[in-house]
Amino acid sequence: MHKSFFFILLLIISVFVYLWQQNTSLRFAYKISALQTEYNNIIAENDNLRLKINSMLALEKMYKIAKDKNFITADEQNIVYIE
Amino acid sequence: MRRNIKKHINRKTVLVLMVLAVFFLLFTKLVYIQIFLHDKIRCNVDKMVNRQIVEISKRGDILDTKGNILATSVKKYNIFLDPQVIEDFSNVKDSLFTNGIQIKEKDLNDFGNRAYVPIVYNVDSSIADNIRSTKLKGVGFESKYVRSYPEGKMLSNILGITGCDGNGLEGIEKICNNCLLGSRVTSNMHRDGRGYIIQNKVIDQSKICGQNVILSIDRNIQYIAEQGLRKSFEKYQAKKAICIVQNPKTGSILAMVSLPDFDHLEKIKDLKVLRNAAISDIYEPGSTFKIVTVASALEEGKVKLSDTFYLENGKLKIADHIIKDDHKIDGMVSLSRVMEMSSNIAMVKIAKKLGNNDFYEYIRKFGFYSLTGIDLPGEAKGLLLDIKEWNALTLPTISFGQGIGVTALQMINAFSAIANDGVLLKPYIVQKICNCNDDSPQKIFNPMEIRRVVSKETAYTIKKILKNAVDLGTGKSAKVKGYTVAGKTGTAQKIDPLTKTYSKKFYTASFCGMLPAMEPEFVILVIIDEPKGQSYYASSVASPVFASIAQSIAQYLEIPKDDLGDKKVNRKF
Repeated sequence: MHKSFFFILLLIISVFVYLWQQNTSLRFAYKISALQTEYNNIIAENDNLRLKINSMLALEKMYKIAKDKNFITADEQNIVYIE
Repeated sequence: MRRNIKKHINRKTVLVLMVLAVFFLLFTKLVYIQIFLHDKIRCNVDKMVNRQIVEISKRGDILDTKGNILATSVKKYNIFLDPQVIEDFSNVKDSLFTNGIQIKEKDLNDFGNRAYVPIVYNVDSSIADNIRSTKLKGVGFESKYVRSYPEGKMLSNILGITGCDGNGLEGIEKICNNCLLGSRVTSNMHRDGRGYIIQNKVIDQSKICGQNVILSIDRNIQYIAEQGLRKSFEKYQAKKAICIVQNPKTGSILAMVSLPDFDHLEKIKDLKVLRNAAISDIYEPGSTFKIVTVASALEEGKVKLSDTFYLENGKLKIADHIIKDDHKIDGMVSLSRVMEMSSNIAMVKIAKKLGNNDFYEYIRKFGFYSLTGIDLPGEAKGLLLDIKEWNALTLPTISFGQGIGVTALQMINAFSAIANDGVLLKPYIVQKICNCNDDSPQKIFNPMEIRRVVSKETAYTIKKILKNAVDLGTGKSAKVKGYTVAGKTGTAQKIDPLTKTYSKKFYTASFCGMLPAMEPEFVILVIIDEPKGQSYYASSVASPVFASIAQSIAQYLEIPKDDLGDKKVNRKF
């Protein structure tokens, strides 16, 4: 009686573990896929931001801004070198 | 009683048989489905659930020597509509409008019954995500990488362009296409009943992207050169203008400008602007070529620095042709003075002492009429008559830089050989190829010696002669405050395409110089093709451009001032 009870219990636990790991792996697969998409989006966004920074720091653009603000090239005598 | 039992058994048997029959039918159907229809059903399910996708990797970046981005790829989206799936057009329209995209129903009707109606191209991922989050039916997205050049026009001829398939078509984009292209990885993904996607393997986009190409170009030097050259190009309404800055100790190109150029953001109407004139176009160098004549003769011991020359009162007749000097000098003139005043007649006399064979050999030794091997596409070899075809005028004209076609790169490389104590190096523009994710170098291009052209002593003498040419001769306008400069002007006549003779209207003005004169840190070549205006002489057209560019570069590179004549010293605290 005890033997058969333990046998049934073991069977139920085995089935439960099998179903649990199937379910968990599926849940993780969904989660990994979602995180992967998010990661790729962040990389793309990072690339976009990097491009924006470089475009803003483009020398041609900086020169135009300096010109608009009436900046002039400093005279060599007025440059103070700090060591 | 017996009859009842019999009846009961019969009913029971019939019921059992019926149940068995049902189970048998179900079993048969199951066998049919599981065994006989297995492949067909499996195939249909696979079609619905599994999808094979090719992950397109990001093209590698092109960076300058200090790591500034010159070309990069960013993910953009094309948004399209499927009119047959759209449920509420006004809702779609409003949602797109809030993200700055305007569409009209009439435009959709123009596409007829097609299921793909593109409405906007190259949208940022933030906008695409906003629209995607509304989960509108009938709105689709296509992602792709778009090449961007943050510096705009700068280096456009060098960087080149890519085609719509992402492959490089010109410039560095073409020559380094295999490195820049990433690997294509195929992966399977599964879609469940609710449309959720599970990928069977995780692909890190940053691991499959193309390699980064690091150039020897310095963005700041490039900008200085480009600004300086552009001013003159516009001022003289020139046909073309070229400027190259080279490090003579390594052969690396620090800046390369070819004008006219193009903007990557604008549509290219004339394909000629794609041409990198600095390596693809040949020109007659004129007097800048005289260093080859003098260096060869000095090296061969045919002339000495102390030698003097009679300049025939400015006119010398050779094979029914008269060769003239622009600056008439009387009496006997020293070798250094000859170069200062850029005498053609003296060059003819020096070249004659050298002879055809030796002169031809030295021209080739300096790298003319052969490819330099620079890592850019479309390099020209130049023009030089085979020695067997030389006539009485060939040697005299080549001696002062006419009758020979060279590229700007060949010319500056020859000057760099003098600056580098007589050793000719291979010019290069690609410095390193690195992994995109960890920046670890995969390939490093080191300076490569081609050959020794002249001895260290001869190179030193030439540098002294060139210094005098700037201090006392035709190159005075190339002087840089606080620095010694060695260089040579060159004003070459061009062939008139109509008359097929040397024109008196079209000239090429050039100046090639090095700074500081005796221990050069950089060499600059400036060429202004067909300058229009009152003067066409290199001394008034090209030399001032050199001076302004060299001054800024020397300051930028913090080269210590070496001209003792200039007593102004920076105060340092």
